[in-house]
Amino acid sequence: MRLSLLLMAFGGSLVQSSVVPSWSVGGVTPDLPLIVTALIALRRGPEAGCLVGFAVGLLQDATGGGLLGVQALSRALAGFAMGLLPARIWVGHPLVQIPGLMLLTVAEGILRFGLLQLFHFPASVGDVLVHVILPQALYNGFVGAACVLAVEAAHVISRRQTWI
Amino acid sequence: MRFRRYVLLLTVLLVSLFLLTVQTRGGGPTRAADLIALIVTPAQSLLASAHRGALGAWHTFTDWKAVRTENLALRADNERLRVQSLQVRETDQENQRLRRLLALRDRVPLRTLTGEIIGREGGGWARSLTVNRGRADGITQQMPVIVPEGLVGRVAQVRSGASVVQLLNDPTSTVGAVVQRTRTPGLVEGEPGGGVRFKFMARDGTGVTAGDLIVTSGLGTLFPKGIPVGRVTAIEDKGSALFHFAVVAPVVDFARLDEVLLLTGQSAQDFAGLFTPDG
Repeated sequence: MRLSLLLMAFGGSLVQSSVVPSWSVGGVTPDLPLIVTALIALRRGPEAGCLVGFAVGLLQDATGGGLLGVQALSRALAGFAMGLLPARIWVGHPLVQIPGLMLLTVAEGILRFGLLQLFHFPASVGDVLVHVILPQALYNGFVGAACVLAVEAAHVISRRQTWI
Repeated sequence: MRFRRYVLLLTVLLVSLFLLTVQTRGGGPTRAADLIALIVTPAQSLLASAHRGALGAWHTFTDWKAVRTENLALRADNERLRVQSLQVRETDQENQRLRRLLALRDRVPLRTLTGEIIGREGGGWARSLTVNRGRADGITQQMPVIVPEGLVGRVAQVRSGASVVQLLNDPTSTVGAVVQRTRTPGLVEGEPGGGVRFKFMARDGTGVTAGDLIVTSGLGTLFPKGIPVGRVTAIEDKGSALFHFAVVAPVVDFARLDEVLLLTGQSAQDFAGLFTPDG
């Protein structure tokens, strides 16, 4: 189980840095590692969400050339928070998961911006919000919807195979 | 359980903050980042090259599809343009034919009617054309039918909307004619084989040779005088007979006619000057 989580985190980060750039629409790309973190957190709880978030964040920090720890921290917190939600609100339906993922993207973006502000990040919050965070949240919503559907389909198929 | 959860979160946060602190103190990339990059970079480049390969294959496929679609469209275009070109050529040829026919019509001092060929009869028993001019157009039997090259034949049957034109090479066709150069009289008759002969040509001193032009004689008032009929290709002399005859190649290619001119009046004028060798 842990190995599969690790592989998902590792694979998500690698795909983000190698494949996802070609999905760019108007300079905006989806944040696949964050989507993976959110989906894992929703299904496995805050510990898994936190660890996966930390791992993918660390990988992205390392491969992206930024400050090592910023994304690790923001994603770990985002994964943890997302993992706490199922105990408090009903998140089983895709119509809840997708807006939740978009909100998480916004929250994680603002958190990351806040962390970067500690290191004198030059851009304004308005610019980052309008040009980076919100478009990416929208894109994440679409990609997240596709991922949720794919996961549901995979579950259905695996159940059928079990019955046979 | 809950306690463990928050310990984990705290640990992760502390590790992250530690990494950040170390970096800011050191002023550059840390060894940890180097180590992670060392592990990640080969996998990253492998995935990137796989992605490039997949993307290349996809582009090849989409290019192939585009080329195939373009090819089909170009083939359709080519076919359409070929048909268009044929139509233009056909129209051009028709235009030329009609211009020549119109020019002849202007030259001929008779009332004429143009007729379009709508049917052909080419068997050995009869050789005829059906023209889209009939009784309603004032067409009557025996009317001469000509084209810019010369004589085609005569109207043999008249119907309400069409007429049947007996061709010169019909086995029952007979036209009074003369050799234009020597004025030797005779009869041009069709043959079952599709040929035309100039018969009843006097044997003595005619001097008719191959290449001589045979024109209508104007005798009998059926055909105006001087309409080209054909050229002599050979003389056949039976020796003992009173007459000999010439094999004639009609000046008109009956198989390639599309429009004709029907002469609806009579004239004593010699038409020879109205026809040129090239029609």
